[in-house]
Amino acid sequence: MTLLLENTVLKLLHQFGGISIFFAKVMKTFLTTRGNFRPIIAQVACVSFRSFATIAFAGIFVGAILVLQFNLILAEYDAQSFLGGLNTSTVVREVGPLIISFLLAGKIGAYTAAELGTMRVTEQIDAIECLGTNPIQYLVVPRMIGIVISSLILLILSLMISIAGAMVVASTLCDINYLEFISSIPRFTSIWTVLGGMFKSMIYGTIVAAVACYQGFTATGGARGVGRAVTLAAVYTNLYILLGNYILRCFLDFCVQVVEMAGGMA
Amino acid sequence: MSIRFESVTKSFGSKTVLSDVSFQVSKGEILFILGKSGMGKSVTLKHIVGLLKPNHGSVFVDQQNVTELSPNELAHTRRKCGMVFQHPALLDSLSVYENVAFGLRTPQYLQSLSTPLTEEEIRSKVIEKLALVHLGPEIMNHLPPEISYGMQKRVSLARTLAPDPSYLLFDEPTTGLDPITTNAVNDLIFDLSRKLKVTSVVVSHDMACALKIADRILVLDQAKILAHETVAEIKRSKEPLIQAFLAETPCDDNDNQDK
Repeated sequence: MTLLLENTVLKLLHQFGGISIFFAKVMKTFLTTRGNFRPIIAQVACVSFRSFATIAFAGIFVGAILVLQFNLILAEYDAQSFLGGLNTSTVVREVGPLIISFLLAGKIGAYTAAELGTMRVTEQIDAIECLGTNPIQYLVVPRMIGIVISSLILLILSLMISIAGAMVVASTLCDINYLEFISSIPRFTSIWTVLGGMFKSMIYGTIVAAVACYQGFTATGGARGVGRAVTLAAVYTNLYILLGNYILRCFLDFCVQVVEMAGGMA
Repeated sequence: MSIRFESVTKSFGSKTVLSDVSFQVSKGEILFILGKSGMGKSVTLKHIVGLLKPNHGSVFVDQQNVTELSPNELAHTRRKCGMVFQHPALLDSLSVYENVAFGLRTPQYLQSLSTPLTEEEIRSKVIEKLALVHLGPEIMNHLPPEISYGMQKRVSLARTLAPDPSYLLFDEPTTGLDPITTNAVNDLIFDLSRKLKVTSVVVSHDMACALKIADRILVLDQAKILAHETVAEIKRSKEPLIQAFLAETPCDDNDNQDK
């Protein structure tokens, strides 16, 4: 059991090291080369359009489910007037970024790992190198930056859809009218909450992009290797997002405490 | 000497694929690298363009040690070398036209020109190279998955020829092609060598092709060079592996092309 745990941790760390080095190479290429703008915009459009329907569908039901769950508890304390604020705050802080990143990992992450993996095993990436083009600049930079930017855009869109879905369910099933739902939102959701959610979404998007691109770019061993790359992309993305979620939560709480202390001292 | 391997050793894990391999390729020469599957033929080719680095030894292209070049310097060396891969390796998201024109739009190629190519000039060059491999302009708008494997291989060859490289590296260029196209590709390799002094290194299982157009044949076996000789010397070889390769060759193709 100990050996199994040790091997798992070592594998995680080994992967993390490889992904970190790869990410550093990609960022260095992005910052030191020109001509990245158009391909990145194309990738943002591609990822956003491809993922929007799935994210929107998930957003409606996430908002609806949370409303029903919170209403059960709030009703006991006759505090249903807080339903809108509690629901929105939870979606913005935690659930929204997490759901989007999991869905992106499954849809875009797997697709990216498969695409790059296939290009690797069929020597397309070697051909690009031999023709004098940096394959990281041509293939990876647009995909990585595109996924990160798309995760922010999709978060904003999904939040609006989630809140709309929650409002409809609150109105029809919980007897909370729209005004009452919206009025409590500012009490629980400040600009810092939104920025915190966007920051998380950006970090998770980076994890999805980095892991998927790394697994695809380093795939070996034909079709089996591509399959392995896609599986590893899905597994490690979710593991690192959960780990990152915990670390970010601690970090953001620490930042809030520092700001409050500074405000108190002032 | 154009290409030179000096004591190159390459291993993948515990498996040694090349062991202390040294040979030279002269300018304008056609060198065929033969051997059984898994003997390091493609690995040898990839060392020339720096896709692989040896564990020991050096690889020189035009007196430059490829193993010690910076990424920019390596990109310039690659500009001189065109490589045709075992798979067509065409970019699926680009049309045939864009695939062939790919090498004409890279910074290294553009730097080598006094004036950049216009789109019309690129188009003319693409049509010219496609014609060399017996393909017409009607396929230019197709995507690679929409054409046959044989056509993809020919497009891959056209793409490699487009930037007019000084060195051509072929990894089984005629696999999957019909006999007529195979002969056309062999004739093309021969003509490029004789007329344009292009140095060609061809990895192949096809002894018949080698006997027909090669200047010298390099035979790899068990990570080492078994033979590096002219066609006439290869035909006289008593090595069992070479004898086995020759035995599989139809008698008609034993005649070497007139140099």
